[in-house]
Amino acid sequence: MTLRLSPRIEPDVRSALAETVLLQQLVDACGSPLSVVLPDRMADNVAAFRAVLAGHRLAGEVFFAHKANRSSALVRHLAAGDAGIDVASLGELQHALSAGIAARRIMATGPKNREFLWLAARAGVTVNADSIDELSELASLVTAHRLPRVRVMARLSGFASTGARVTSRRSRFGVPARAIGAVADLIGKEAGALDLTGVAFHLDTIGLAEKVVAIEGCLAALDECHRRGLRPRSLDIGGGFGVDYLADAAEWERWTSELTEAVLGRRPPLTWDGHAYGLRNDGGTVRGALGLYPAHRPVAGAAYLDALLRAEVRAHRRTVGTLLLDAMYDLHVEPGRALLDQCGMVLARVLEVRDDGDGTVVRLDCNARDVSLEEHGVLMDPVVVHRSSPADPRPVGAYLVGNLCLEADLITRRRVHLPARPRPGDLLAFVNTAGYFMDFSATTAIRQPVARKVALYRDGGAWRWCLDEQYWPVHPGTEAA
Amino acid sequence: MRVDAVTDAIGNTPLLRIDPSVHGLRHIDLYAKLELLNPFGSVKDRAAWAMARPLLARAAGRGDIVVELSSGNTAKALAVIAGMHGLGFRSVTNRMKVPEIKDLLLLLGADIEELPGQAECLDPTDAEDPLTRMHRSLAAAGTGYLHTDQYFNPLNVDAHRHGTGPEIVADLDGRAPDYFVACVGTAGSSTGVAAALRRHNPGLQVVGLVAHKADFIPGIRTIDEVHEVGLFDPGVYDAIETITADDAVDGLLTLVRRCGTLAGPTGGGAYQGAVRHLRTVDAGLTGRRTAVFIVCDRVESYLSYLRERRPELFRQPARPTSTRTVTDAEAARAPSVDVGTAQRWVSQGRGPVVDLRSPFAYQALHIDGSINIVDELFAELLHGGLPFGRRQPVLLVCPVGEKSARYAALLTRMGHPDVHSLEGGIIAWRDAGGELVRD
Repeated sequence: MTLRLSPRIEPDVRSALAETVLLQQLVDACGSPLSVVLPDRMADNVAAFRAVLAGHRLAGEVFFAHKANRSSALVRHLAAGDAGIDVASLGELQHALSAGIAARRIMATGPKNREFLWLAARAGVTVNADSIDELSELASLVTAHRLPRVRVMARLSGFASTGARVTSRRSRFGVPARAIGAVADLIGKEAGALDLTGVAFHLDTIGLAEKVVAIEGCLAALDECHRRGLRPRSLDIGGGFGVDYLADAAEWERWTSELTEAVLGRRPPLTWDGHAYGLRNDGGTVRGALGLYPAHRPVAGAAYLDALLRAEVRAHRRTVGTLLLDAMYDLHVEPGRALLDQCGMVLARVLEVRDDGDGTVVRLDCNARDVSLEEHGVLMDPVVVHRSSPADPRPVGAYLVGNLCLEADLITRRRVHLPARPRPGDLLAFVNTAGYFMDFSATTAIRQPVARKVALYRDGGAWRWCLDEQYWPVHPGTEAA
Repeated sequence: MRVDAVTDAIGNTPLLRIDPSVHGLRHIDLYAKLELLNPFGSVKDRAAWAMARPLLARAAGRGDIVVELSSGNTAKALAVIAGMHGLGFRSVTNRMKVPEIKDLLLLLGADIEELPGQAECLDPTDAEDPLTRMHRSLAAAGTGYLHTDQYFNPLNVDAHRHGTGPEIVADLDGRAPDYFVACVGTAGSSTGVAAALRRHNPGLQVVGLVAHKADFIPGIRTIDEVHEVGLFDPGVYDAIETITADDAVDGLLTLVRRCGTLAGPTGGGAYQGAVRHLRTVDAGLTGRRTAVFIVCDRVESYLSYLRERRPELFRQPARPTSTRTVTDAEAARAPSVDVGTAQRWVSQGRGPVVDLRSPFAYQALHIDGSINIVDELFAELLHGGLPFGRRQPVLLVCPVGEKSARYAALLTRMGHPDVHSLEGGIIAWRDAGGELVRD
């Protein structure tokens, strides 16, 4: 009996999965693997973040972190709405501009080369700078090329806490918060080239306490800027709001408990070759850290933002939201995966089904980079899209292996639960994979193709599709609406 | 009892018979081992003292700091013991969720280091557990340290094998109980007590209680977390049962309100888990049996924990002059002025402008001439009545004009004829180009 980890599937995705003939035809036509994006849902996700900001009476922008998916359809759909975009490379910036997103709604983040800085400055997007050197380089570019004054934000890191010491992982990004004076001095000196609109941070953590400390540090930095005569008015708290991937808390709790039992040798393995996801058995005691994303997260996405805004900053005895509102700061957020919740799936063709040891092995025409759930530590069962009837109607525990001639090419090391035994030719659908798992890591190793991408959208009552690059938000469905 | 050192007062806690009319068991005498009466307030005083005692002299000579991975009672006891011996104490934790405990540790002179939360973008190469992180951070600090290692140190178990367990047997006139119920944290007390009791009664039934996975009960681990504990040996327990935070609070309320025992949630959980387990046993019994559970610590440190889960326990009578009593309709009708009128109000000096935002925000930028009374202080003032005369016009300012409207409505209801709210708040003032100053 294989333990289930049922993915959370909302009605639109469920309805798309029911179009089995269409999905089979798409993979027949475009090849396996095939990425499918559902742009319409994105607007609802943006609206949820906006509603939280409005509930706290805060102004600010929602910037979609483009790095989560390369899709043109998603970015063009975004251009039709009111959200902004966070671009982290020259290519992403070009893509956003070509999709029609206005420069005022674009934020350039991450490590930047000179060309990226130039186009950002030329187009008039906000540059979210990682270091004082980057600000200097930008200022000299603006001066040398007689570009208009550029709106900049300074990304900060290394915040000090009061009371209990709250530690964070070391970050390779950002100016140390204590060096805000040097940032302000540089901006003051380069006032003709740089316009400081605010400060930013991004912490790679799910911990609220660390983010509260960072916000407190940013408020102090903003105050220091005001003291020096600058007038920044926004705070950008980056992303990291998370997604709730699983439908059932009890399944997740059961599976993680059973994994611990398996690591201790008290039950047969749940995974390929007893893989322990970072845990180890040290004389009957479990050591190590569970290297998995907390796939069941009841407080994720916009609800996580709400929890953060309701958290108290003890030094000020006020909540984060009240402090920001009091100080009249706009709050910017840069969600990636949270905006892509329920926005896409990867389809892969079943090539072979055979029984082997403690499980059935299902070989797919895709590899672990095409649907990089394992790399990101997210565990959930795929959905079987049968071409005809199942080979056997009874459930089966299966290992999913990929199309690279590489031992490590397992789509997941976990034995997944399939409700019925698939046949070669059936499809497996990996749902809710639009955020980071679709194309972030995809490669053409051994000349295997990277997945093509199609956009699936509703037109009246029916599902329609087009190639991702053909999608513009003016399809008949939107015009009728 | 006269003692030379407070550590001499550790142990020898009473064994309290719970009134059968409270627990309702017909054939079982239920006793509570009142570990909350230890001098630093918990069962951990025993383990902390047992683990630190043999090492203190050497550590004091070298000026080492005492360190432990603890979020609660062990940290508290070690902080006191370290302080008494002139040593520093640092608690490293990723589980400190109770603010009162944090404050108490700081008061006792401890350093608290909270470990980072899990990464949102998984780094599969990062396999460090909290213990590894702690050792690394300590090694980097360059000073010597005394790590008591409560999750692996056999002295933790010995403190109970030689202390708590034999005390229970002595108080039961040399007989061990038939049932022993304990919450599992470090597994030190349950393992040690069970070993001592089994020497007298090999038929002893031991029930270990763990927290429900989705819940947080201070001092109790979940079924997965107990496996990370070096002292945990599943062979000790005849049954492992799960309790929820709700169970723990229910049990706490029974002990606190009906048994005169000011127990914290762990003790409450132990009581509730014990009664639940024993109730099924009781039904099939004919002869008398004895059961013991441990009341680990005291209720006072968990008020915020209780407030979060059972706000109704703390209900305050509504005060009449509070903005909570202002309806949306009343707020909408509150007298207000637009930005243009407000600018004339200020330039003509019509009356005081009260800025209700936080002092931090006021310091940064405010309307020239305004005074800052942060909303929570203003609310306190209003409980006492009108804080300014009826002939004194007042303009209230907040971020977006929402809070100020509620206060203007309340002041109007209290009989003030000339109080106004700035429409759209200071943000509208700023956006209209109104002057803001910084003193």
